[in-house]
Amino acid sequence: MRSQAAAGRATRVKKLAKNTAQQVLREDQLDSAEYSSLQTQSNIETGVEKSEEKEYHLQAALKGGSGGSKDAEEIPAPPAEETPGLDYDALYPLVFHKPATYIRFSQTVEETTGCQYNMTSEDDTFLKAYNHKKSAGTRCSEDDFEKIMEVFEDTAADQVPYASLDGTVISFDGMKMSIKQQIHEKAHPFAKDIYEHWRICRQNAGNHPLQPSLKVEKNIEKDDGDPYVCFRRRDARQTRKTRARDTQSVEKLKRLRKELDEGRQLIDMAFQRELTKRELLKCDKSVFEQRAKVKETKVKLGIKTDDEDLINQRPQKRKMTDFGQLQRPPGSQLRLPGRSDGRPLDADLIMLSDLMAQKENTLQIEIEEKAQQHRKWNMGHVDLTREPLSPVHGQGFEAGFRPATAQYQYLMTPPSSVTSESFDQPSPSLEKPEPCALGYNSPSEEEEPRGQPAYRRRIGRGGRLWIDRRGMSSAAKLAEATVSDRWKYDQDDDDEQPVYEMDPYDTKALRFRATIPYPPHLFSQRPRPEQAGPLARVAGNSPAHNRAITAAGQQPQQAPP
Amino acid sequence: MAGGGDNKDSKGESQVPKINGRATADTLKIGCIAMVQKDGQHRRAEILSIRDIKSGRQFYCNFDNFNKRLDEWVPVNRIDFSQDVEWPSPEKPKEAKKSSAPVAKKTIGQKKGQKRPAVTREVSVASEASTPRPWGDFDDSQKGTPDPEGEEKLTTPLDLDNTPGAEDDDPMDLDEVAARAVSAKAEPPEAFSRQEEIEKLRVGGSMTQNQAEISRIRNITKVQFGKYDLFPWYFSPYPEAFTQEDLMYICEFCLCYWGDVKSFQRHRQKCTLQHPPGNELYRDDYVSFFEIDGRRQRTWCRNLCLLSKMFLDHKTLYYDVDPFLFYVMTSRDEKGYHLVGYFSKEKESVDGYNVACILTLPQYQRRGYGRLLIQFSYELSKIENKLGSPEKPLSDLGLLSYRQYWTERLIEILLECNEKDEKISIEMLAQRLAMTTADVESTLQAKHMQVWHKTDHKIVIPMKLIKEHEARVEKAKTKPKREIDPDLIQWKPPVFTASTRTWGW
Repeated sequence: MRSQAAAGRATRVKKLAKNTAQQVLREDQLDSAEYSSLQTQSNIETGVEKSEEKEYHLQAALKGGSGGSKDAEEIPAPPAEETPGLDYDALYPLVFHKPATYIRFSQTVEETTGCQYNMTSEDDTFLKAYNHKKSAGTRCSEDDFEKIMEVFEDTAADQVPYASLDGTVISFDGMKMSIKQQIHEKAHPFAKDIYEHWRICRQNAGNHPLQPSLKVEKNIEKDDGDPYVCFRRRDARQTRKTRARDTQSVEKLKRLRKELDEGRQLIDMAFQRELTKRELLKCDKSVFEQRAKVKETKVKLGIKTDDEDLINQRPQKRKMTDFGQLQRPPGSQLRLPGRSDGRPLDADLIMLSDLMAQKENTLQIEIEEKAQQHRKWNMGHVDLTREPLSPVHGQGFEAGFRPATAQYQYLMTPPSSVTSESFDQPSPSLEKPEPCALGYNSPSEEEEPRGQPAYRRRIGRGGRLWIDRRGMSSAAKLAEATVSDRWKYDQDDDDEQPVYEMDPYDTKALRFRATIPYPPHLFSQRPRPEQAGPLARVAGNSPAHNRAITAAGQQPQQAPP
Repeated sequence: MAGGGDNKDSKGESQVPKINGRATADTLKIGCIAMVQKDGQHRRAEILSIRDIKSGRQFYCNFDNFNKRLDEWVPVNRIDFSQDVEWPSPEKPKEAKKSSAPVAKKTIGQKKGQKRPAVTREVSVASEASTPRPWGDFDDSQKGTPDPEGEEKLTTPLDLDNTPGAEDDDPMDLDEVAARAVSAKAEPPEAFSRQEEIEKLRVGGSMTQNQAEISRIRNITKVQFGKYDLFPWYFSPYPEAFTQEDLMYICEFCLCYWGDVKSFQRHRQKCTLQHPPGNELYRDDYVSFFEIDGRRQRTWCRNLCLLSKMFLDHKTLYYDVDPFLFYVMTSRDEKGYHLVGYFSKEKESVDGYNVACILTLPQYQRRGYGRLLIQFSYELSKIENKLGSPEKPLSDLGLLSYRQYWTERLIEILLECNEKDEKISIEMLAQRLAMTTADVESTLQAKHMQVWHKTDHKIVIPMKLIKEHEARVEKAKTKPKREIDPDLIQWKPPVFTASTRTWGW
């Protein structure tokens, strides 16, 4: 087609790709003869069914599109017209108020149309005749009539769904229940009379439901071609079968089976338990009876012993409780430091933790005070010496001291396994500058030892290396050590320090820290095995041990100022 | 209308010789093809049904190359008996059974199933020689109007054409009628079978269906809907009892249907709906759009489908409405939101359709509403980031509406490109309009815009389309054109979980 037209031009028509950018021209940008010569007749897919494609009016409209009058383009169709003489307002009385926002609505037709039975002209005639005989106050309203009819229809549909086939008609007695439940008291007297009307109507309709309804699928074979049967069910769509889905469902089935089996076993066990209970009861009874006999015999024979053989003793039970008590103390002791929330294990422990908290509080206040004092003391201090050693920024009075316990305590490998050589000759990688090498030792407030063992390394005059230790206190002080572990995260000046919210006793954090590899500066920080050794050993053990060992005479060694 | 529509283009395709001969009003049978007057001309018409009413015998005629919506009941005097009539195939099995025309069957049409002639119905008419008949075995489901007794009624003329309307019942046993409507021509069996077709429907979720499946005879005469009387175009499977009514009533808001006027009035007193039962997605000062889930609002959507089936030939109601969403356009007044038109859309379309069925109700047709519906469907596709296309087959009116919309939109962009001297590809056009590239291509070709000029493919905008465009622009100055404003759409593409996508109940 197009290629034929182009053939004259002796250029081969390239295939037109969808993403080819094409030039856009107006017809008047070509000369007219040229444009019409380019016209080709090709078959264009219209999407209309083939048989209708050549329908007269459609063809006329498609052709008429090329310059015909408006009429030619229109396809004649039976038009709608306004219903003559219609009282629209009577039929549609409700006035609508447009909401300000977009409507959101999910009620169904059934929910918005009230009673589903709508009386017919026939019903109307009946009801009028029926009411005619009655006095004004006892007439049946149309609403009541419809409600009663609806109940009859619903009950019939419910109880004898195949009424049209087998001709079953529910008797009025059969309807009474539903009437009682669904119709208000006042309308009950009408039910019987309306029932007669209903029965006749049903009969006339071949015992079909009275309201015209759509034909639904009944017999798949027969209904298939029936154009009145509509809205058939669609078969559930098949999910694609894949190996993953297969195994998935196998897993599901397995689990289901297991769960069902567990349920079964549970019931089985409960059954066994009940059987055992019955046995026990029987035994108890026979024991009782035997004892009764024993008693009788004793009385008869005049044997006077204590009556122990006549009562049940349960020594095994007492043992059980003993066992429990024995088991608890070590456990609670272990847990003691971890109970930061003060949840009591026993009465004793409540008091202990309270005490500790109290102590800790006073301690904290004291520290706070001293820190404050120290800062005041340092205020406005200008060091005019050359290259002054100024305080390491952001460090409090504890500057330079690193806590020993926290890092040592949970190491994967106990420090004792580290050879002394490694302390004496640190590997080159450990030679990097110490982050806290030069500290500013606050002059006055080198106060009482802290609960936590800590040390620092500093370089003194003449390049001497010093290791300062502190916190190697008595047993009582060490008990606080765990508490004071908290200060590790405390900074006195809180201007720009990020606040890390954490529970210091949360084992999660401890466990995580335990996985952190041995930091290299720790090696370099304790080059003197004779000092670091015992300290490490102490730190490597549990708090309980810690206490024991320090109590055995480790005295804090104050560093020279 | 212009060119005489006689048998100019319908003759001569048939392979089997036809039996021609003279007929009278009494001998004319179903399946015959006769010359019948239509719009002042004689046209070939197939007799689909026969009935006797007070004023005489009437024949239901389908006119050659006219859409089915123009089928009508024709009195004897419009049939030209001076010309030969083509008789239906003689090897028709049940031929002998029924020679006298109107045998009234009293039973009201439930015996359809019993009598299913095993005859394969083939095309009987030359005009239909090219009609694809997908159904391997055509069932004789034609009986449009089962009827008690040939009782007589006053015939009200359809306004469109002054023929007696179809209000009167057909006294014939239509089972037999259909059975006899067997063809004169043995066409080779079609490649696809009925089973395949239904299978396609089942898995494909299509809403359209071959027309041969449903009755070819209009079964509802007149419908009172809102303020209007509607005259249906096609068959719709409302309860069979309604086919005997002169007038059927449909509630404008819940779309429920009644044959009895008292019932309808009673319903109207109880019905509280005043807008489609779903969420409003769009509102401007002219129209509103609602989204209705076929699964949630089964009754309403079924009612909508029944209503629209009266005006859509290729719509099928074979399966239920669950897998569809319905986008309903309404106009607003003090009584509520009145249904103007709608389109349905598959929740998940395998073929990338963004519209399944689309309809503007007859009382609102030719007022630009169809364009708004189409535009809205593409706006939704834009939000979804998809290219959409309406499901095929299109109806004649559908094709015209879509062509018009596509052309207008393409011309706008193309003129812009021309002005800026920019190049544009089919893909870019498709992306900008959320149309499929196939639709862009077919529109360009249909409007003779795609040309091979010199050494390149080029798009040439014909002067006629430019003039039309300018006329529209001019008109818009005085009377602004109604457009969908995408900014007013409050919509997120609905997401369906695996369980809600299982369309079975």
